[in-house]
Amino acid sequence: MTRQSPLLATCLLLVAALNLEVSANGLVNEEVKRTVDLSTHLAKITAEIVLSNQGHSAVQSFILAVEEDLTPHLAYIGASVKGDEEEDGTLELQQTTIPGQSGHFYKVQLPSSLAAGAQLKAKVEMTFSHVLRPFPTHVTQAERQLVVFQGNHYLYSPYPTRSQTTRVRLASKTVESYTKLGNPSKNDEIIEYGPFRDVAPFSEDTMKIHYENNTPFLTISSITRTIEVSHWGNIAVEETIDLRHTGAVLKGPFSRYDYQRQSDSGISSVKSFKTILPASAQDVYYRDEIGNISTSHLQVLDDSVEVEVRPRFPLFGGWKTHYIIGYNLPSYEYLYTLGDQYALKMRLVDHVYDDQVIDFLTVKIILPEGARNIHVDTPYKIDRMPNQLHYTYLDTFGRPVLVATKNNLVEHHIQDVVVHYNFNKILMLQEPLLVVGAFYILFFTVIIYVRLDFAITKDPAAEVRMKVASITEQVLTLVNKRLGLYRHMDEVVNRYKQSRDTGALNSGRKTLEADHRALTNEISSLQARLKAEGSDLADKVGEVQKLDGQVKELVCRSCQEAERLVAGKVKKEAYIESEKTLTGKRQELVSRIDSLLDAL
Amino acid sequence: MKSSPNKGVLLQYWLSGALGGWGGTSDGKHKASTNAGGSVHGNSRPGAAGGGGGKVGLSGGLTQPAGWQSLLSFSILFLACLAGFSSRLFAVIRFESIIHEFDPWFNYRSTHHLTTNGFYEFLNWFDERAWYPLGRIVGGTVYPGLMVTAGLIHYVLNLLHITVHIRDVCVFLAPVFSGLTAISTFLLTRELWNQGAGLLAACFIAIVPGYISRSVAGSFDNEGIAIFALQFTYYLWVKSVKTGSVFWTIGCCLSYFYMVSAWGGYVFIINLIPLHVFVLLLMQRYSRRVYIAYSTFYIVGLVLSMQIPFVGFQPIRTSEHMAAAGVFALLQAYAFLQYLKDRLTRQEFQTLFFLGVSLAAGMVFLTVIYLTYTGLYVRLLTCYAKIHIPIIASVSEHQPTTWVSFFFDLHILVCTFPAGLWFCIKNINDERVFVALYAISAVYFAGVMVRLMLTLTPVVCMLSAVAFSSVFEHYMGDDTKREKPPEKAEEGLGPNIKSIVTMLMLMLLMMFAVHCTWVTSNAYSSPSVVLASYNHDGTRNILDDFREAYYWLRQNTDEHARVMSWWDYGYQIAGMANRTTLVDNNTWNNSHIALVGKAMSSNESAAYQIMRSLDVDYVLIIFGGVIGYSGDDINKFLWMVRIAEGEHPKDIRESDYFTPQGEFRVDKAGSPTLLNCLMYKMSYYRFGEMQVRRGALTPPGFDRTRNAEIGNKDIKFKHLEEAFTSEHWLVRIYKVKKLDNREPLDHKLRSVVPKQKYTSKKVPLMLGGEFALQVWRDSFRFS
Repeated sequence: MTRQSPLLATCLLLVAALNLEVSANGLVNEEVKRTVDLSTHLAKITAEIVLSNQGHSAVQSFILAVEEDLTPHLAYIGASVKGDEEEDGTLELQQTTIPGQSGHFYKVQLPSSLAAGAQLKAKVEMTFSHVLRPFPTHVTQAERQLVVFQGNHYLYSPYPTRSQTTRVRLASKTVESYTKLGNPSKNDEIIEYGPFRDVAPFSEDTMKIHYENNTPFLTISSITRTIEVSHWGNIAVEETIDLRHTGAVLKGPFSRYDYQRQSDSGISSVKSFKTILPASAQDVYYRDEIGNISTSHLQVLDDSVEVEVRPRFPLFGGWKTHYIIGYNLPSYEYLYTLGDQYALKMRLVDHVYDDQVIDFLTVKIILPEGARNIHVDTPYKIDRMPNQLHYTYLDTFGRPVLVATKNNLVEHHIQDVVVHYNFNKILMLQEPLLVVGAFYILFFTVIIYVRLDFAITKDPAAEVRMKVASITEQVLTLVNKRLGLYRHMDEVVNRYKQSRDTGALNSGRKTLEADHRALTNEISSLQARLKAEGSDLADKVGEVQKLDGQVKELVCRSCQEAERLVAGKVKKEAYIESEKTLTGKRQELVSRIDSLLDAL
Repeated sequence: MKSSPNKGVLLQYWLSGALGGWGGTSDGKHKASTNAGGSVHGNSRPGAAGGGGGKVGLSGGLTQPAGWQSLLSFSILFLACLAGFSSRLFAVIRFESIIHEFDPWFNYRSTHHLTTNGFYEFLNWFDERAWYPLGRIVGGTVYPGLMVTAGLIHYVLNLLHITVHIRDVCVFLAPVFSGLTAISTFLLTRELWNQGAGLLAACFIAIVPGYISRSVAGSFDNEGIAIFALQFTYYLWVKSVKTGSVFWTIGCCLSYFYMVSAWGGYVFIINLIPLHVFVLLLMQRYSRRVYIAYSTFYIVGLVLSMQIPFVGFQPIRTSEHMAAAGVFALLQAYAFLQYLKDRLTRQEFQTLFFLGVSLAAGMVFLTVIYLTYTGLYVRLLTCYAKIHIPIIASVSEHQPTTWVSFFFDLHILVCTFPAGLWFCIKNINDERVFVALYAISAVYFAGVMVRLMLTLTPVVCMLSAVAFSSVFEHYMGDDTKREKPPEKAEEGLGPNIKSIVTMLMLMLLMMFAVHCTWVTSNAYSSPSVVLASYNHDGTRNILDDFREAYYWLRQNTDEHARVMSWWDYGYQIAGMANRTTLVDNNTWNNSHIALVGKAMSSNESAAYQIMRSLDVDYVLIIFGGVIGYSGDDINKFLWMVRIAEGEHPKDIRESDYFTPQGEFRVDKAGSPTLLNCLMYKMSYYRFGEMQVRRGALTPPGFDRTRNAEIGNKDIKFKHLEEAFTSEHWLVRIYKVKKLDNREPLDHKLRSVVPKQKYTSKKVPLMLGGEFALQVWRDSFRFS
């Protein structure tokens, strides 16, 4: 205490002289319980403060202070009021300055004013990153990692403190040295300081602890989180992560043999860690520039998806790696809509590993093409960059990309961001229509190309060939039709044999005659055209015609035979006999026609 | 039955139509195949046998034979392309979309450079990360066709906002081009024989292992696109010889230009086409068409091929291209004589002829003398000496082909293609002369070098398709039609024999398909960057040691660190680790490689001298002793010694590395030179303490690859230190220490480190299961 008195005196002087506001409040820290948790690579300092108003008027706010040395490392600060029953009430913080005092100051707005003489229990949480310095800075594979923490024995506060204790939680029992202010007690991993009584405002006293800490000193030196929203039901998330082991740097060789055989070899190195993804995450991938990282495992739990991220190689002090992890989410869980208005509620930054430290975060939110009136609600202050445009499948004028960056983040920053925007649902049709249009144009061009003749010179031979081919085609159909007529006639004859209705037969015969004549005429005209083209196929068609005449005759004969049978002029056996020969002849003729047609 | 053809009928269409062939060849001999087209129609036409109702239901296009035919050919060709594409995806499905092997990594790296920096930057690229300290002028020493193709596809896709990564373009380029190869093979075979044979050839080339071996997804190499270019050039050549049109010839030249830009194998084209013309002249088959085609091709092709920086003036300088020039001159002379023949009398012509011949002889004589002076002749002769340089001999794909690999790569086709060749020779015409020459020369080259199996494969597919097609045509025509005129019953072949032969042929084809799939899946679909082993229960272990070590280099060494390794890994280190290498797979500088080989085979202090002089920061080696990987550096070591001996015969002698009995042994009986050389020490550093397989009766330090207990277990380094070793010890990286300035003190300090206690053993190095490593691929590159 005696060591402290000059400082105390100056502090008191300063307070009295310069900071009327603070002293005018008349706030006093009645009792402070500080816990300094140094068991990970972060320093988490929590203080439970009983604040009493000993002034004359009620106060609306109080002030939190952070020491000058620690301010660059402050990742998170938060305060809450501890009610009697409800453990609640996160308070709003606002940065402020106190002239003449070093450090950062935050003004905490109280939910209800604190009357004169009243008391209040507040809880303050601060997290500092990169405050544990490895010492020695380089270790070999077999050595353990020792770190030094430098902090303050007291609560740094603009108010006088009546009584306070500080409890330090370490990562291991092994402690090289620690400051012995007030004769602290050490019990395993815990060092207890205090209680200190009547500490002046702004008092500082260096607490220095040098101890063994083998927890992974992993730091995300930069992370780019890209969230791509699609209105077709998917949200794609991709995180590009640069990871570094910021503990004591590996000195000398890395021996795989020792690493595999001895459990304490490379004890501070990082083999793997767990990343927790949302429960609905699908299609998770984990890769880097040279491909998939095959050493990872995925476990789907009820409320989350756990990825065991194992870098390609164990990370020793000073080693770094780089990887990409990505997954898809169904949009219905994160995208809310009312008419044309949409709201996307996603985590601004997500869990990578426990007690994570992110040095630099870039968030990119890619909204659908045509999103307008974009408005972002962030849970904490974040630097917005100018919007960009992103082009991907079937985009025409680009998707708006919101870009934001922030330094020094920890787990407390895993909070939701809400993006409001308007989107005209008609625009959903744009992409399918684009595809349809493209295919339409493609097919249309093909049709045009196939149908039209683009040749500069005319090839008369080819033209003739094509003409002949088309005529032949027509001949083929006509001949087939004609053969069909005969079959039809057969049916008529058969029916006639049963019904003995001469009228039907005659009318059938008449239609046959008529149709046949028409068809034959048509074929002969085609034949004439073939001849005109100079094709030798005309002769073949002529032959077909000739053969067809014979077939026709046979059909007529069989018709007559049938008539005679019905009239009783021939016996049934004789009729069957003659019918057989007729059919045989006809078959032969038809097959000859067939072979001729095939040759066409 | 006729109105709605059931499956059986459809099958019959398919078989009789597709296999029997229906294409209208101009050749009179093949009227039968033209008829087969009619037979399809005959089947589909109602009333041919006098039964059933009309067939009006089917749409107009399909009632016509041409409609059916084009639909069928289109779908068969499409399916062949699809099969060709998808059967190459084994590696992507089993592993991932990754670049395979060695050379593709360089191609990928340069394509990446092209896409990020633009075309001109690529052409002017001086790669200071290769061949330290010499560097490499990449733009002038590569065939840029592959990179430009991939870059162009990537560019067009990105222009359409299809955001595909360049890696995926590169990985899938070879399968896509295999599909295109199927189409170009179809076109070429159709020109040579008929459409049916073309379709069969397309199906064959799509799945034949001899081609798949160079074009699986991820094998981003020149050959992948070059075979397409080769086939397409030949198609256009045949087309131009057939038509004698400048249009087709110019197309042929452009395709040839693409081929030149893609692969050094273009020399095959520029020799085969002149050979074709020459043989046509000999066979008295000279025509105006040939004259037009070859004259245009030679001039335009020559000018175009000289536009590729790497080729430059070679086409008018080197011996490989002289044949083309000679044939060009000969053809002009021949054409001129033909012209004169029409103008002059017989007597005049004879005098002129003799005059011309003697003049030509004198010219040839003078040229030979000139060539001898300029040393070209010497070079021509000494190019055979290349074979005896160890660095060329060390590459396994430069070995002569064995019969087994012929069968392995081509299966039944190797037996049927002589039949196809015979069919072609029997019904010879201009273009069949070409395919016969193609076949004969390709067979010769394939016999010389395993690698040139690739040029043989397409012609084998084409000729086998001709053979199969002819057989099917013969035995599988429309039975009913053929049988009706009894006098045409072919040599008394009954339907039984026909169906037996058909069934046999189909069986062969089926076995071929099965073999192809098996070979593709087992032999040619390993990325070789990622290894896989299978446990007894069938689960798979992935051994990702290469990428582990390369990525460590990439992330945790200085950006300009120089890594020494054997040349096999040069491209991979440059591609995956992005670090400077001393030697790589380009192997253009033998003495540099020999220096690296010398460093590897010297003792540590001598090696340190070399490494200091080469500014080496890290040394990377491959060591397979822990898992039994046979393609490691100790197995390649003798080649390093040989190559080093070639340049430094005073310092390195191969015999020093053998035991007095002439064996190469790593155990106690091994030669002391071997047991103390840098490579040995780096491979086995601290391996002597390691129990590879617990429980088994193996001593510590038992090398599973060579099945021997190592001879030198007490390995200490003075100038190196272990920087990284991958999980299964496959890749070991050593750091070359800087010069000490306090030598004695340094040693004292180092001995202060307390001895390790071996009480708690954490990770037993039990590598479960037998490692059925796919050493097949590695044997391709044991150098």
